[in-house]
Amino acid sequence: MQSPLGKMKYALAFLFVLLAANFLMAQTVREGAGVNRAPDGAGHGTHEVAPSNNAQAGPIGFTVNTGNGINYNGGPVMKGTVNAYIIWYGNWNGTGSNTAATRSAIETFLGTIGGSALELVNTTYGDNTGNVSGAVHFGGSTIVSATQNLTDARVQTQVNNAITSGRLPRDTNGVYFVLSSSNINETSGFCTRYCGWHTRATLGGSDIKYSFVGNVDRCPSGCEIQTTGPNSAAVGQGGIDGMANTMSHELEEAISDPDLNAWFDSSGQENGDKCNFNFGATSTCNANGLCTASGTSAAAKYNQTFGGHNYMLQQNWRNSGGGACAQHL
Amino acid sequence: MRVHSLLAIFIGITVSIHAQEPVKPKLNPRIVTATRLVTQFSDLELQMLKAVQKKTQPALQAMLTDDCAIEMPNADPLPGEDWIDSVMAKDYSLKSFALREFSAVDLGTAVVVKFERRESATLKGKNESGEFFVVDVWKKDGEKWKLANRFVSRTAATASKAPIKPTGKQ
Repeated sequence: MQSPLGKMKYALAFLFVLLAANFLMAQTVREGAGVNRAPDGAGHGTHEVAPSNNAQAGPIGFTVNTGNGINYNGGPVMKGTVNAYIIWYGNWNGTGSNTAATRSAIETFLGTIGGSALELVNTTYGDNTGNVSGAVHFGGSTIVSATQNLTDARVQTQVNNAITSGRLPRDTNGVYFVLSSSNINETSGFCTRYCGWHTRATLGGSDIKYSFVGNVDRCPSGCEIQTTGPNSAAVGQGGIDGMANTMSHELEEAISDPDLNAWFDSSGQENGDKCNFNFGATSTCNANGLCTASGTSAAAKYNQTFGGHNYMLQQNWRNSGGGACAQHL
Repeated sequence: MRVHSLLAIFIGITVSIHAQEPVKPKLNPRIVTATRLVTQFSDLELQMLKAVQKKTQPALQAMLTDDCAIEMPNADPLPGEDWIDSVMAKDYSLKSFALREFSAVDLGTAVVVKFERRESATLKGKNESGEFFVVDVWKKDGEKWKLANRFVSRTAATASKAPIKPTGKQ
């Protein structure tokens, strides 16, 4: 038979174990903890993110460029060749710019933007293990015929479904674009708040980077700089160029701030945000075969040429020489 | 016996505390590319607030249509010129402000803009700070956009706790 003192000791020991367990449970990091959306005065999507320890995990070998109007917050960038994938959502065998020709043009765009003058601006970003390479590879696409509008959660579901079904590979050095046809809304604010967005999620245990971009022919005044672009199949169909512009914005940001904890300024703006709809010097399409007939007849503007096509793409923030919006290094 | 009772209570409290843990959020924040209209009209809204802050009346006047009206809950519409007089008054001071959750809808001849404004301000020495939900209607006047209507209300977090009294004008 135990004495009251023995019982007390037993109880105290049990209490100690309980408190220790309680303390450890309190240390669990919750996904999203430390991430707060913050106003930037301009209505842009912005964030405040607690510094990550990822950079400290790797060997310290590279010096991270700083002092150029954008801050390094400790997280990783995407290095090496970044693979870009597309999930075509909605009706991409339809009318207007929702066509197979648009799919082909956008896939060509993603397949040739790697190493372009614009993409090399992103090589000014790095972490403590190396810099962005500027190399981008188009890794493939899949089509999801659907009529249901998208939500943020459904966008993530589409990415997850494409990976788990094997239609697209599981790639932690990839960026998955969900591109919706113009009849599809993304109800969290496509066309009224944003033209596209990017984020990350842990899917099947992997850190997956993904982005939503809608066919901006749904809202030309909101998301297109010109209603007929250098790649328009017909006058008034600026969807290809408008989407290419938003995709380049999201791609640069996803590469330089893949986990939302690497590169952004004190007001939460990432490199693409700092030059949103800022195109710099432009040229006018002429009949040299680098613009479509419609783009040429409408005297569409462009500021980038690669892969045998002209494009009108916003500038990217150059993280060198004091920092500036730049079309090239 | 008392020790066992205390332990049981403690375990019960511990379990119930953990049962209250928030559900793990499924989605990370997304970083958006603002629309052209959001960029354009957030700049206009900022210009207007800076004009209020610096009390530059001509700049503010140039941004409002002649028949601009400001509407708030439980009050008659305030003509634009009266609103300008009120924010230009010496005893009103707009110290700081921030805008967020911006959206803009193009209706062809007008653009409807919605945002939330947090501001720090004083009126006759009294704290007038708060958060406001604002809907603005901008109309094109030649090459310039001008504010034609504003519908503004304090957000629930900062709204007065006094019961709303019917005015008979709703």
